[in-house]
Amino acid sequence: MHVSRRGFFKVCAAGMTGSSLATMGFAPTAVLAEVRQYKLAHATETRSICPYCSVSCGTLVYSMGDKSRNAKARIFHIEGDPDNPVNRGSLCPKGAGLLDMVHSPLRLTHPEVREPGSNQWKRISWDEAFDRIARHMKADRDANFVDKNDAGLTVNRWTTTGFLASSAASNEPSYLSIKVMRALGVVAIDTQARI
Amino acid sequence: MNPASSATPGSALNPGLEPPAVIAPPADLFADRAARFERLAAGHASGDWLAFLARLTRVQHELLQQHPAVPLPDAATLEQASRHAMPPLPANGWPRDPVWRRHLATLADRLIPAAPESLRPQLAGLASAPAEELERLAAAVLRTEYDPREAARLPFVAAALQVYWTWMAAQPAFAGLARLDVPGVCPCCGSLPVASVIQAGQYAGTRYLHCSLCNTEWNLVRVQCSACGKDDKVSYRVLEEDVAEGGTQRELVRAEVCDDCHSYLKVVYRDKDAAADPVADDLATLALDILVDEAGYMRSGPNPLFIPGDAAA
Repeated sequence: MHVSRRGFFKVCAAGMTGSSLATMGFAPTAVLAEVRQYKLAHATETRSICPYCSVSCGTLVYSMGDKSRNAKARIFHIEGDPDNPVNRGSLCPKGAGLLDMVHSPLRLTHPEVREPGSNQWKRISWDEAFDRIARHMKADRDANFVDKNDAGLTVNRWTTTGFLASSAASNEPSYLSIKVMRALGVVAIDTQARI
Repeated sequence: MNPASSATPGSALNPGLEPPAVIAPPADLFADRAARFERLAAGHASGDWLAFLARLTRVQHELLQQHPAVPLPDAATLEQASRHAMPPLPANGWPRDPVWRRHLATLADRLIPAAPESLRPQLAGLASAPAEELERLAAAVLRTEYDPREAARLPFVAAALQVYWTWMAAQPAFAGLARLDVPGVCPCCGSLPVASVIQAGQYAGTRYLHCSLCNTEWNLVRVQCSACGKDDKVSYRVLEEDVAEGGTQRELVRAEVCDDCHSYLKVVYRDKDAAADPVADDLATLALDILVDEAGYMRSGPNPLFIPGDAAA
């Protein structure tokens, strides 16, 4: 535990009768009686990024409920993050309506696939989705990888697949995106933030 | 045209405009606080106490308006403080001008008629106490060593010191102070914050810590513990009756608790009610302190207008 140099201050029920409120001549009983009408509720404020466009404004997401006690946290307010240098607290009308997207009954919450030749979306698991993507990528890379150019120089290029990095990513995920894609040989790399 | 000059005065949003690191105390601070105390006192469980503090704050306002010029740090001291990122008017160390004892005498005299019967002899005693005793009490207040046996007198000593330090902090010599390396203490006087304030107006939504002594405010990003600086175990506690009444609204006062250092400090949301005041709204929500204390958190900043009693007594 990190203890402040000057220690902490304890404002508690047991200390009310000896507090300045009481010794100055006012009755602490009303405050103590009032306390018993209340319960403590848990709330959180969480930083996030607006998912809509490439500007990637910072947001603050307000929720109620204690996640550790089986009560489902309920998001009730989203506003621009005043500390984010991208938007300094402002949001466009679409971003300002984010709360409706969070609670929308039409919101997509799981992966779906539309098989070739089908006109139906089919729900699949996250594992299946990742497997399918990896399988498609490997098949394409195996078929089209260029290890040497016409002059016989080693180039290790994979030119048939491109990568569009997220505009919501901070420095570290962006660094990782580039490292992973370059390692695979991808040369067509761009970011949504440029658009 | 740069963004600063094109911004509409008072407009809520200024994308790209960085909020100032430090905000000096405004001239009408105590008048606004007194009005807030008065409003909170109406219908409140401890309304008579809050109404008395409104009168005290009203006298603080008058004292600040008529404050005489007192010595300030010289240029060399200011430069040294700035170079070493130290507060230029340290609560512990700055040689206090005797003017604060005159403030205390005025406060005591003016408040005697409004005070409860049992408090009047104490106030009369403060007005005539020897300087050494008052300086001893002042040193205790400034070191935040609150002796419960002195609980009835310390709030008045603190109120007088607040007037003196607030006047100094508002002088042009301290305009544009930089933030210190440590976020948890005042960049002007080195005191602990009484509460966080979420700003309204031009820098709406930004968080400032409000000094418990000189009323300077300094910027700290939201959702970060002001006592230990960590941000991954920060959450908020609110009184549930508030939640039942307006469950889709943010409450005016929340306790920002940190499960890393097990401390808390209240946050006053001025963006929800611009009249909200970190000192007055703090003392109107002692129920929140008591419940958060029972949940196992210790308060990290003092409000010297309220001296807690001894918990073991």
